[in-house]
This record gives sequence, structure tokens and C-alpha cells, in this order.
Amino acid sequence: MPASTFVAMLAGRQDACAPISANTFMWLLLCSAQDASAHWAYKGLRARGLLPLELVTAEMLLQSRKWEHRVDASGASISITLADGRVINNKAVRGTLNRLTYVPLQSLEGTPDYDYATQEYAAFFMSWLYALPPPVLNGAAAQGLSGAWRHVSEWVSLANKAGLPTPLYRQTSHDTINEKLEMRKLFPNGTPTTLAIAVGDRVVGPPLPREIRDGCLRLAHLAQTPLLGIEFVRGTSSNSWSFAGATHMPDLRLGGEPLLDALAAELFQPRSSSPS
Amino acid sequence: MILLCGITTESPLALVREALDEMGAPYVFLNQRRFSVMKMALEISGGRTSGRLDVNGDSYPLDEFSAIFSRLMDYRFLPELRDKPEGSPEHLLCHNLLDTLTRWAEIAPARVVNRVAPMGSNFSKPFQAQLISQFGFEVPETLITNDPNLVRAFRERHQKIIYKSISGVRSIVQTFSDDDLARLEHFRWCPTQFQAFVEGTNVRVHTVGERVFPTAIRTDATDYRYAQRQAGDHAELREVELSDELAEMCVRLAQGLGLAFAGIDLKITPENRVYCFEVNPSPAFSYYEANTGQPIARAVAEYLASG
Repeated sequence: MPASTFVAMLAGRQDACAPISANTFMWLLLCSAQDASAHWAYKGLRARGLLPLELVTAEMLLQSRKWEHRVDASGASISITLADGRVINNKAVRGTLNRLTYVPLQSLEGTPDYDYATQEYAAFFMSWLYALPPPVLNGAAAQGLSGAWRHVSEWVSLANKAGLPTPLYRQTSHDTINEKLEMRKLFPNGTPTTLAIAVGDRVVGPPLPREIRDGCLRLAHLAQTPLLGIEFVRGTSSNSWSFAGATHMPDLRLGGEPLLDALAAELFQPRSSSPS
Repeated sequence: MILLCGITTESPLALVREALDEMGAPYVFLNQRRFSVMKMALEISGGRTSGRLDVNGDSYPLDEFSAIFSRLMDYRFLPELRDKPEGSPEHLLCHNLLDTLTRWAEIAPARVVNRVAPMGSNFSKPFQAQLISQFGFEVPETLITNDPNLVRAFRERHQKIIYKSISGVRSIVQTFSDDDLARLEHFRWCPTQFQAFVEGTNVRVHTVGERVFPTAIRTDATDYRYAQRQAGDHAELREVELSDELAEMCVRLAQGLGLAFAGIDLKITPENRVYCFEVNPSPAFSYYEANTGQPIARAVAEYLASG
């Protein structure tokens, strides 16, 4: 669906400046305050008529006045009253772009409860994020707040299952790499790469051969990560592509306007009833 | 060939090793404490995983291993590294060996008890509860909040409530008392988990593949693991039988979470309602086996040997 269609469908539905309460439908963009990529997407999605779109940072969440997260036989719910008075309620959320990767508790660093609080907050965020209704790009998983984190060895294995051409991966006990300081890579640092971004059933980025494009979609599906950045290294022949890595946190700006269109299409799913 | 990983004195690992000895099943024991004399290489090429593991003076191709039982401990606490600074060559070697081992186990076409990724759901209890409820179990009513008024209302509604950690950090489950009311204002900085107390019988179900080993626990303590401290007496454990339907639900739950071996904590109410509190992906089953004689280690060994 082109961007202009969203604007036509949504224009006038909500005043972007109207106060947000528990009874207002909204889209959510969750990110850290430093996530320039997410802030760029926020502007672009609003311009496409995804309104009201609430930008909520991890730092704002930590200042919340009130948390209410319930889990029982009927399901799970979340209601957050932010310090500025906005209320985020799962019943009113129509879709979420979730870029939270950690809970920034630096202010507690050095205190006796720091380690405990870090684990408690991360576990709490994992649960309430999982309670958000679809679509969520990307949803909380057991290995990460916005999609599962995977080691490069797992990505290679998955990429191969997805039918993408993969390079040889090698790891030994006597490697000198310290993974606490540096991540393993499939190609040497400085190797030029090309990024494709899978969003739902679309792939945004450079023109790709059909089988590579299909492989990207299969990889996103296998990884249960609907928004997935996939890097390739181009070979000397024009049709030679090699998988170079994948991330659930791609730099959205690299996808440009087509990515914003794809995100808007994925996040906009008509809902007939009002929140109760 | 089966690969056992961990330290020799750890009870569950020792029991599985004993069972494999009794069965005469071939295995290799990777003693984590001897990391300095081991070597491992892993390769992934065209979808095929290969490599070698040099351990105990022998060298094994990785594809010879059809099953892995891993009880690796946090290497930073190994006595061999006690006096070595973080970042030292010994730390790096130990980390890289265990990391290579773990990466291989995550993708190896073998029976792995258990892979690391599916164990992650136990990191967050309410997250795991949402998964558990998808498998037909009841989960206790849970409230996580930093609002004292909501806690008061929750307690008024349920009469008896408990509180415990949200994360996988081990904490003692405590009943919320009148004394705790006075402390409510202190938790505004960190949302806390409260749960309706469920009356009934605690049942720990160990699942191994498709087999189940249910154990009932009788105690007056809120947290039976701390029965001596909370109720002044040890918990009494006995083997029980589950209905076929419930046994199947437990197997489906463990499989659905990707766990070949799991410890499922249930509470069965006098009205026969079944609540599931948690699924432990790395159960210390030796406590239950020692108290009931249930052949859990043998079942794990048989599961590994039939891989």
C-alpha cells in the first residue's frame, strides 16, 4: 500500500496533539533516547499518517509514575502511566515498532542492588513487552527485548537453512578474539557490505536476485523476526552474493523512504472496535 | 557417543554418568576444570557442522557425538581461575573453549539436554507464565506494580498473596504480611511481583523426552525448597501418578518450550485445578531422586543413549 493511501485513510482520525489516555488508540515507537534511527522513523511514520504515534524511550519508561502488569488465565495486560501523564495500555495499542534492547539503569551502578535490579527490570520488560498486541516489530523473545539475539554461528546456520549462500564459518577454543570486546564476523573488518531489510513480506534495499530476496524472507521467518536487517558481501561477478550477518536492530535510515512505507504498511492493520 | 559436560562433583551430572556406566553406554566426560588441556574447533560449511574436540588425551570428530548433556557452570567461579585476573590468557582460553562448545551444541544435529536458547524463557517468570498458559495450564493471578494501592486491593481480593523475584534470580517466595504493608512505599523505584496464593499440593514433574516423573511435596512452608526455615521441618516428598491427560500436557509444555528435560512446578488444588508456576530448564533432580527413588537419571541416560 503506498504512503499516500495511509495519509488518506488516517488523516483527520486523530489530532496528533490530543491528550493520550487509556481510551485512545495509538501506535507505539519504543527505543532508547540515543536511537537516532528510531527518531528518524518516528518522523517518517507520522508523515505517513500513522497517528497518534507515541514515541516512548527506555529512559522515560524508567521514570514512569505507575506500572500495572497483570498475568492470569485470561491473558496479560500492561498499563503504564508515564511521568508526563501519558497512559500506555495494551488494549489501545494498534501496533508497535519496538527497538528496546536493554533497560538503562546506569544511575544505580555501584549500588548494592544494581545486579539484582538490572535482572529484575530486564525480566519485567520482557514480560510486559510480550503482552503488547500484534503487530510488533520486533516482539520480545526469550533471548532479547526486541527479538532474539543470536550468535553469528547461529545466523550462518539459519541463513543456510533459508537457502542463502553462506561463507565458511570457523571458531576454535584457541582463537585470540575476546568476544566481550569484539563480535565475531564472517568477513574481515572493513569489507564493504550491502544491507537488505526484511519487513513482513517485503524486502527493502538494493535490487536483489529473486532467490536472494526469497531467502531473506525465509530467514526472517525462521528467525521469527519480522523486521530483520541482512548484510551481504558482493562478489566479483555481479550476481554473486554472500550472507555476511543479520540483526534485529538494523539502522532503519539505510532503508530510506521505501522502508518507511513498508513499516507503515506492516504496522497499519485495520481495527473495527474501540478499546474497552 | 554421548558427551557429558560439567564438573565431576555436581550431583545430577554424577548420577547421569553412573546410569550410563550401568547401561554400558559409551560417553566422553568433559571436565570443565581441565579446560587448559582441551582443544576444540568448529566449522560450518554449506549447512554442515563439523570439527574436533580434543579431550582426555583423545581427539573426536564432532559428528561422532549423537547426544550432549550439559551442566556447565559459570567458568568465572572455577577454582582454577580464582587467582587469574579477568582478561588473562587462562580466562580467554576457558571462555573460548566453552563458547565454542556452546555454539556447537546450539546447532548440532544431536540430542542436546538442554540447548541454551530455549532455556531463556526461565529468565522472566511472568514471560514464561504467558507461554505456559498457551499450553492449557492455569497460571496464578499475578500483579507486577510499583503502586501500593494496587497491591492493597490485590491483597484484599485474594486474602493471601505472595511476592517473589520477577527474574530467574533465585529468591525465597514469601507470604505478604501486615508488616510488609508498611514497606510498600519503598518499592516505588522497582516494580515488584505479587501473586495470589494458591492452596493445594505442590507437584514437581520432571519430563524426560516423553516420560514423566511426578513428585508430590508435603509441607506447610510457602516455598517448599526452604521448608526447614519457613515451617521448621523438612518437606516430605513422594512419588505420585498423574492422569494421562495431565502427563501429556506436561510433555507438550516441555516440548513446546524446546526442552528435552524439564522440571515443571505444579500446584493441584482441592478442586483438581492445575496451576503451573514455572518450568525449570536445568532441574537439580537429584534431590527428588534421592527422596523418592524415581529413576530420573536413568531416564536422562536412556534418552541420551537413544539419540
